[in-house]
Formats: sequence, structure tokens, C-alpha cells
Amino acid sequence: MLRMVSKLLAFSLLALVNTAQAITIFTCEPEWAALSMELAPGAKVFSATHVYQDPHYIEARPSLISKIAKADLVICSGAGLESGWLPALQKRAANRKVVNGADGMLYLSQFIKTIEKHKTKFFSTEHVHPAGNPHFHLDPDRVSKLAPVISQRLQIIDSGSRLIYQQALAKWQKNWQQSLQQWQQQAAQLKGQPVVVQHTSFSYLINWIGMDAIADLEPEPGVPPTMAHAQSLIADARQEQPVAILTNWYQNDRAARWMSDKTGVKHLNLPATVDLKGDINNLQRLFDHLLAQLQEAQ
Amino acid sequence: MKRKALALATAVLCSQANVVNALEVGVILDAYHKSENTALGGRAEGFGSSHSELSLSQGIADLTTAHVALVGEWNEQDSDLQLEEAYLQSSALPGGMNVTAGRFLADIGYLNATHSHSDNFSERPLLYRAFLGGHYFDDGVGVSWLAPTDRYWRLSAGAFTGDKLGEEKSESGIGTWTLSTEFGDDLGNNASWQMGASYLRNNTQSSDHHEDEDDHEEHDHAGHSHGAEYQGKNLYLTDLVWKWAPQGNNRQQQVKLAAEYAYVDDVYGAEVDHYDGWYLSGVYQFDENWSAGIRQGRVNLAEEHEHAGEHEWEETRLTETSVMLSWAPTHTQRLRLEYKHQDADHMEGADNAITVHYQIGFGAHAAHGF
Repeated sequence: MLRMVSKLLAFSLLALVNTAQAITIFTCEPEWAALSMELAPGAKVFSATHVYQDPHYIEARPSLISKIAKADLVICSGAGLESGWLPALQKRAANRKVVNGADGMLYLSQFIKTIEKHKTKFFSTEHVHPAGNPHFHLDPDRVSKLAPVISQRLQIIDSGSRLIYQQALAKWQKNWQQSLQQWQQQAAQLKGQPVVVQHTSFSYLINWIGMDAIADLEPEPGVPPTMAHAQSLIADARQEQPVAILTNWYQNDRAARWMSDKTGVKHLNLPATVDLKGDINNLQRLFDHLLAQLQEAQ
Repeated sequence: MKRKALALATAVLCSQANVVNALEVGVILDAYHKSENTALGGRAEGFGSSHSELSLSQGIADLTTAHVALVGEWNEQDSDLQLEEAYLQSSALPGGMNVTAGRFLADIGYLNATHSHSDNFSERPLLYRAFLGGHYFDDGVGVSWLAPTDRYWRLSAGAFTGDKLGEEKSESGIGTWTLSTEFGDDLGNNASWQMGASYLRNNTQSSDHHEDEDDHEEHDHAGHSHGAEYQGKNLYLTDLVWKWAPQGNNRQQQVKLAAEYAYVDDVYGAEVDHYDGWYLSGVYQFDENWSAGIRQGRVNLAEEHEHAGEHEWEETRLTETSVMLSWAPTHTQRLRLEYKHQDADHMEGADNAITVHYQIGFGAHAAHGF
């Protein structure tokens, strides 16, 4: 009986999917949504989070469950970033296409090397990702490696439109190469300069440019800044005169503003990812914006 | 039924490639001090631990998860260790279905299926303590189905032995069964909601029980009791949850309101028409580390009293107000200070208490639902 009912339901679901023309993509972070829109023209793309949300702390809300239940492809950073909420969505949604291990579940961290890997001990209270820093979309080189990964996955799950995906990738790669040259020139001028950060959100960008993160406002990764810790960084900041104190749009920037007041170092509040509803709505524009802001602060 | 579900799960499993998953081990340690005993169970007075947990989770071939949770409680009078969860759960059967088999938390109400370490107060609301023994888990099989609608709509059903609901073994094979449904959505960028309705059929006793035997036991007001103390043939539950965070970014700030109502009829072992109860709770997380909350709840029950040699049933009522302040120095630790005030009508054991509660987690932990 149970088997019959579930078969019936499966057939009716299949019928629903077959009538739909484009595939549906669910991304955990908005950067992958922006990239998917370029690599899969015509696809329905939904991002679970936006630029004002901390992707570590997301509620497994009912609306996200019904969205992931209808996805053909789920694209996430992985490396533990979504471990507090994505498994709850997958479990509730019961969508066979996007369970771990299925072609429709893509964890991008599996295709690149992450930085800042931490050895975690079992009895430790630290909140670090043993799989490394998951904010790798802020490295233009890693993004270049990941675009073909996404494109290939699209070609596997929707082989009928293979040609469209190949063309879209070629077009994207051409544009990206052009932008890369410009970014490299901008980076050359910023190389070796010190910055103060809050969390490791911008680590990949800082490494790519070759800047030097001299201090982190977080006393420990994932632990919000404390006044005592910020106080202890003042002397260094005064002496080394960093280009800026970086925070991102979803963070509490109280400590950064305080430090900026004390040291005269500029506080830069930058988007950590694309703003799908604003002007900085793709990764090209995001790097354009970030590099321009850093140059201006110099 | 159980065997059929397992066979189905295995059939689905075999069609997929084998993927090896790591065993996930998680530990939650809980320590508290409570100034007084209060009515209707919960934590006992003095130093103790109420819900320390060792959990093991293993994914099998990406389509099934095995989960085991061993829970320990100890206080100055009593100590206890028990297996609270030991089940196999499918990850995704065709058509949005999932099957769970083994020992697991019944999918009813808002709080019942959530782990108590994620609760915002140090004890479960009154209605859970009175009608479900804090939280109801049992041996059985459960099925859930997510409707392919745009708005979240989920249905689930379960059948259990019923042995874990009361203090006694159930008389029938399927002692309890449950049905529940929930809906939910977002309200703009900042808020989301979920509402649910559930039903628990309790066939573990017969309604005329009290007439042939006088077995209405003295309630153990101090210390915990595993069984539900106030039972009836039918338990109806409704719940509503609303959460708000600026831009949906709940790292900095969040408001969470929850309300549940329970109604029990065909009451077992008491000469009253029905029991009922409700609670309303509000929690405001005002910063990354701090939150404050208030919860108000009531249960309307009945007790037997001896009056000039005659046994009489009297309606009783218990009202409870809890106020808490909680500090989470890191993601895995929480220190909570809670004041509880109880008001009782014809009920013994009501008191006021201050609880200091510390909790720390190690290792892997399952992602939390809404």
C-alpha cells in the first residue's frame, strides 16, 4: 500500500517536473546564484541566503524547505558552512535529487583547496571549520576553477541543453579573463599592505591580492569581537597604520567603528558577497567594487 | 508495518551506489542548580544534570541515517540512563516521503520532536510535562510526506507500541498512533511562521480503568517521571511559531514567539470531562551572545481527594511563569538564569524556584529545524 502510494506520488511529481521547461537551481549562498544565472540561462535560480545574512546562522525555515524540495540542483560552498541548517532542509524536503551524493547536490569545496584548515579536538569549544575557510568565492582564481565544475554538473543533470551550458561557460570565461587582468593591476598596487579584519570572511581576497591581515577583531574564529580584545589590538593598529578595518554587511561593526575612532584608520564596510537585489549583483561587479574600495582607502 | 517500512527502505537503498559516511559523535553536558522543587516534574532541587546526551549518527549510502541517543539524568535523589533514540530514517523516498523506524521522538506539537538542548527555557512547558512526560518518544514507525505545494505543507503519521507514554506497558499492540500536519512560510524579508495541528490516540488504557482499581498513584513531584501523568484517549495539539530577525539575519538579533494549546478528552483514571493546557513564550535575542525570555503557561487538571471517607474528584489548575536570561559565550556553550513562579489551585507542590543552568556541546550535532 505504502509502496503504491509513494509510486503514485512519484509519478505525479515526475509529470510536474517534465512539463517545466527550465531546471530549478537552489543555492545556499547568493554568489553561486549569481554565477548560476550566468552559466544556466533560463534556469529558475533561488538563493537561500542574501548579502545581509550570516550564512553560518540560518533558520531552516518552512519556505526554504519547500524551495529545496523543488530543486533539480543544489549548489553550496560546503566545508561545513551550512552544517547548521542545510541538513535539516534536506531531511524535511525529502528530495531524492539533492541528497548528499546525488548528482543534484554540489558542494563546491570538494573541487578546490581551502585555506585555514584547523585541526579540531573533540573536547574543544572553538567554532572553526576543520574543512577550512568556506568563503572561497572571494578568490578570482578559485572562481575560475569552479565555473566549469558548475557547468559540467548542469550538463550532467540536464544533458538536453548541454550546448547552451557550454556556450554560456565560454562566454563567462572570456569576460572573466578580461576582468582578471584589470583586477591583477589593481591588486599589484595593494600588495603587501596591512589590513585589520573581523572574522575570516575576506581571507581569500586578501591572500589573492597579497595584502597582510595583521589583526582579527574576533578573539577566536566565530566568537564576536569583545572590547578587551579590540583594546589589545589598538597599539598594533596605530603603529602599522593598516589600509582599513574591514567588516562585512551582515556583521555587527561596533568594534570596528570604535577602533577606527581610536586609531584614525578607515573603517570599510564591504559586501562579503553579491547583492542580488542591488547593483553589485554578480561576481565581476563584486570584485570591481571590492578592489575599487580598497584602492580608495589606500 | 515496521517490517514493511524497513523492506521499502532497504529496496531504495540497494538501488543506489554505496557511499561511505563518517560516524558523527556528539556530546551535550548539562549541569544545573535549582533552588526548590516545583510542581509537575521538571528538574529536581539541588545540583544535577537533566539531559546530558551522547548521540551517534551514521549515514548509510546517503539514503538512510542511523541515529542513537543515550540520555542521562542525575540529581541528589535519583539517577537514570536511558536510550531515547535508536532509529533508522530514510533521507528521501520517492514523492517527498520519508520513513522512520525504531525508537524516536513522536512528530507532534512544536517542541516534541526537537531536542531539549535547543530549548530556550530550562524545563519544558507545563502541558508537555503533564500530558507527554516532558517529551514523548517510543518504539514504532513513522511516515512523513511533504506536499509538492509552493507553500510548505507537511503531513506525518506514526504508530507506536505505547509502552513509553505511561508508566505501564501498553495493553494493545499499537498502543498509540499520531497524525500531524504543519504549514509555514515567510512574511516579508524579516519574519517567518509555522503552524501545526496534531493528534495523539492513546489506546494504552481503557477509560473505565479507575472504576475497578484504585491505582491513581501518588505523583512524584520531586524528580522527573518518564511517563505522562495525565492521560486520555485523545490528545489534540495546536501550535503557532513566529520568528523575526532584521533582514532575516538571526546572528545579531531575533525575536521568537511560540504558543501551543493541548486538549485531552476521554480522560483515563479521573472523573472529569477533559484536561487542557497552553503556553505562550517570547524570547528576544538582543545580541550575538545574549537572550532574554518569558513564558506563561497553564494546565487544567483534576485530582482525587478523600472527603469524609468519600473519594471526590476536584478540578485543579497550575499556572507557571518563567523568566530567563541566557548568555552564550561561544556557539557551543550557554549559561542560563531562570526564575519560575507557580500558582496552584488545589494542587500540591507548587513553588517558586531559581535555576542556574549550564550546557556545553562537543562534537557533531544535527542541524536544528525551524
